[in-house]
Amino acid sequence: MTRLLGGREATLAAACLVAALVFAAASPVFLTPGNLLTVLRNSTELLLAALGMTLLLAMGAIDVSIGMAMGLAAIVVGQLLMAGIDPALAGIAGPLAGAALGLVAGAVVAFGKIPAIVATLGLLGVYRAGIFLTLGGAWLSGIPTGLTDLVATPVLGVPPAIVLIGLAYLAVFVLLRRTPFGPHLLAVGNSDEKARLSGIAVTRIRLMTFVVAGALAGLAATFYIATYRNVSMTIGATLPLEAIAAAVLGGTSILGGRCTLVGTVLGVILIRLMQNGLLLVGVPSLWQPVVTGAMLLIVLGLEAGAGSEGLRRLVRRPA
Amino acid sequence: MTARLRQSPTLAILAGLWVLLVAGIALLSPGILTASTLTTILQFSSILALVSLGQALVILAGGAGIDLSVGGIVSLASVLAMMAVSAGLPATLLPLACLGIGLALGLGNGLLVTRLRILPLIATLATFYVFSGSAVALTGGAAQSGVPAAFTPWGRGALAGIPLPFLTLALPLFLVAGVVISATSWGRWLVAMGDNERSARLVGIPVDRARLIVYGLSGLASGAAAFVSLAWLGSARPNIGQNLELTSLTAVLLGGVSIFGGRGGVAGVLAAVLLLVTLQTALLRLNINTVWQVGIVGALLVAVLVADALTTRRR
Repeated sequence: MTRLLGGREATLAAACLVAALVFAAASPVFLTPGNLLTVLRNSTELLLAALGMTLLLAMGAIDVSIGMAMGLAAIVVGQLLMAGIDPALAGIAGPLAGAALGLVAGAVVAFGKIPAIVATLGLLGVYRAGIFLTLGGAWLSGIPTGLTDLVATPVLGVPPAIVLIGLAYLAVFVLLRRTPFGPHLLAVGNSDEKARLSGIAVTRIRLMTFVVAGALAGLAATFYIATYRNVSMTIGATLPLEAIAAAVLGGTSILGGRCTLVGTVLGVILIRLMQNGLLLVGVPSLWQPVVTGAMLLIVLGLEAGAGSEGLRRLVRRPA
Repeated sequence: MTARLRQSPTLAILAGLWVLLVAGIALLSPGILTASTLTTILQFSSILALVSLGQALVILAGGAGIDLSVGGIVSLASVLAMMAVSAGLPATLLPLACLGIGLALGLGNGLLVTRLRILPLIATLATFYVFSGSAVALTGGAAQSGVPAAFTPWGRGALAGIPLPFLTLALPLFLVAGVVISATSWGRWLVAMGDNERSARLVGIPVDRARLIVYGLSGLASGAAAFVSLAWLGSARPNIGQNLELTSLTAVLLGGVSIFGGRGGVAGVLAAVLLLVTLQTALLRLNINTVWQVGIVGALLVAVLVADALTTRRR
């Protein structure tokens, strides 16, 4: 099991390397420090959203509303900053708003006992309307630079973004490996019925996981505002796909019960490397969701079929 | 039999809600209530009705069935079919092109689900982004005009106030689907495998083949919706399918189909489509921002699911 995951992560790292070599050969800009820094900066929101999605998938759930939840949290942070609130407090409001939205999604799924995909799709519609109504059809712009300065000031030579994201991953790792929450979450992902029978508080685990994922999406919103200092109508539109793809590329099972944080990080890096590289070789950015979706399907197909057997199954007559 | 008993209260509730809605409109803005408004409602309903019919079959057949890619298929089928016509395909083949592309994309979903055993929600979420992303990227987001003029009289015409696409395409297909589900063995298979897949396999129902066909039919219905949009609007819009996954799911579940499969019928779905489109048309006519529609539909979806979970015993 551990070896299998290790193999997966090594494969993924190799894939990142190959992609980097191909793009470096195709574009002289790709390997410049400035460009690689851009890739890293573009990854911050996705790193956090994908971490939350990893937990949700491992629990056998999903949340397609996280992009819109990030958008709403970003609006909260942006408007607090514009109202002159202390940047540090405004920054903390992001994860808090995200956690509140996660609580809503979690409550609907856990208490309503309804499939997460349909529940969060409904919430996606509600949140999208919420974003549109608060923005009034325009962009939220002219946000002061307070949070940007805060996030850009290096701590002991390291950008705070990297420190905070590292801390988030460490916290989740501890939660998974050093507290009962981790085994319980995976047990619910394996079989919620068996988990219930063995005395696990399934509803509470569900709620808690959605809250954690929401808080991570809210933290992503804080970084979003710090980086871009505006909110557009289309914020977060492709975030659910990218977060799911990153987690699945990394080796997290969509059926629940298995996850790997290192894999998710590598999945995020591969996705952002591909997007950046394709852009540099002249593929319009409009194709990005197509490429990400195709990558997700290819990995799932390979996983399902494990090579030639899967291809045989694809052409064989159905039972 | 039990299905029929459960079906009628759904229809009664939906009819009651519709009457309430119309009464509300009559109070707020009596000027809206004209025969032409009814024609508009049915015109707007055609696309949603077709897509929801496919979605209903997929969900009814169970196995965690769901088709999130329907909107992407509508967009991509209309864009690709128009590009094919622009590239020299005989104009008379436009309807066939829409249907063929829709069927092919739907069968693609079916293969992912039945042969590679990818969870339907993940498979169709991924193809949703692939299809809708391709539709936008291929056109740069611009509408493709130049639908042959021969099709617009059908797309915009009406007979006795009933739009032709609704009268000659959506309504007959619902009738056929209703008969197939309740009176043919294939239709009973769908319900049976949705209700209990293990038993269905044990009694020898070809579950995988039936499921593959169901996804193909959903794609076909979306292809038909694509053609309706072309004949109606006169151009292929790369975002025509936007939000259709959300709205069709809401219509299907509001129409009494269980999200877990095996329970419900298509009559309720058609009634739910009419209710939803009446609501949307009313909001439009009352000059309420269209984005409210997405929010209301989303809230309705959650409300229906919670109500269903609270009132029915979970299996």
